[in-house]
Amino acid sequence: MADTTIQLDILTPLGPKRHGVVVPGVEVPGLLGELGVLPEHVPFITPVVPGVVRFRDGGESVRIAVGAGFLEVTRDNRVVILVERALEVSEIDANKAREDLKRVSAELSHELGSIDAAEHRKLVTEQGWLEAQIRATQP
Amino acid sequence: MANLKEIRSRITSVKNTRKITSAMSRIAAARLIKAQQAAMGARPYGERLDQVVGSLVASLGGGEGEGEAGEAGAAHPLLLKRSGNGRVVIVHITADRGLAGGFNANLNRAVGTFIRKEREAGNDVVLLTVGKKGRGFFQHSGQKLVRHHDAPTLADLVVKAKMVAAEVMAMFTGGKEGGDTDLPQVDKVYFAYNYFKNVLTQLPKIEQLLPFESREVVNDERVLPVLEPGRDALLGHLLPIAVESRLQQAFFNSVAGEIAARRTAMDSASDNATQLIRELTLFYNRERQAAITKELLEIIGGAEALKG
Repeated sequence: MADTTIQLDILTPLGPKRHGVVVPGVEVPGLLGELGVLPEHVPFITPVVPGVVRFRDGGESVRIAVGAGFLEVTRDNRVVILVERALEVSEIDANKAREDLKRVSAELSHELGSIDAAEHRKLVTEQGWLEAQIRATQP
Repeated sequence: MANLKEIRSRITSVKNTRKITSAMSRIAAARLIKAQQAAMGARPYGERLDQVVGSLVASLGGGEGEGEAGEAGAAHPLLLKRSGNGRVVIVHITADRGLAGGFNANLNRAVGTFIRKEREAGNDVVLLTVGKKGRGFFQHSGQKLVRHHDAPTLADLVVKAKMVAAEVMAMFTGGKEGGDTDLPQVDKVYFAYNYFKNVLTQLPKIEQLLPFESREVVNDERVLPVLEPGRDALLGHLLPIAVESRLQQAFFNSVAGEIAARRTAMDSASDNATQLIRELTLFYNRERQAAITKELLEIIGGAEALKG
């Protein structure tokens, strides 16, 4: 009766990244820390923070950088990760991400006083997203 | 009877118009694929998000489980049903440009009817327009407009949805947030857009955005999922995203719908032009033949008279 696999969807506003892939489990950066979802998980909803989603698709291990969003485990043994953006490792330009991160971090550390709250929030989001991309490219 | 020169210039003019319409149709066809893919690709995300938030909200409203959550409004300000000043705002999403068949006109008419109904119910209506065609239509009828944005494109759609969502949420929760004192407070937020059903059909739709209500809940999950962190914190995180996502979906639909409508309209305009050219050419040839015959008869008549 017990399933040994779980179905995974990764959806973004710019289209699905993965749809109905069968995986043995998936690791996700949750709001309260990194978490792993295995088959037969209870129905579950939690926010996702920018980071790296990892799972094994067939024989190969896959890493996808994701932005903020949330994760849902449904009763029919399905994981749905809804995030505002997601990039496969092959789509990430690591060097560019590193440079952008340097720039964003510098802006954050130097100009904390002169920028408003909304701009600050935007920069922090951007920083998290760039760090996620870089981490995704480092095995 | 029209003389030959007039007909000839008419044919040329129709031919030139056909060049324009068929070029527009071809451009629209090329852009359509991208826009359609974007709209279709965005749909699973929007629908799923809507379902999840919808079932969360529904679980509040029913007051099942924990009794203290029976009042949905207590859980989050965006769920609160207000009855303050009876003012409603409509986010009216149209295109920037015309020549797209009934795309803009249908929605303008639908929103016009809606506004009349709201007025009869005693509500004050203000508009937030996205797209120049909607603004142009209501400006002349003396309708109050609070804000205007140009129509979204695929490139700036996500950012624009965020912006509009922030504005309407500020209007709904008090009209003060973010220093936007010019935004009046409202009791309800609606949004009107063209739903992209398929390339040939765009349906004008007006839906309620705030207070946030779940669309028909197709959920049989009576067992609530485990929520982490708690439900209220989760709602605080998800509701703004859900509002944004609904607007985003509407934008995607509107962008794809506009291009599809233009393609269809320009296609049939080109067809009509071709038909017109055919008829005019036939008429032109017949007239020309008649003129030749007439001239011949005159010459023969003249020759006969000389002979006589």
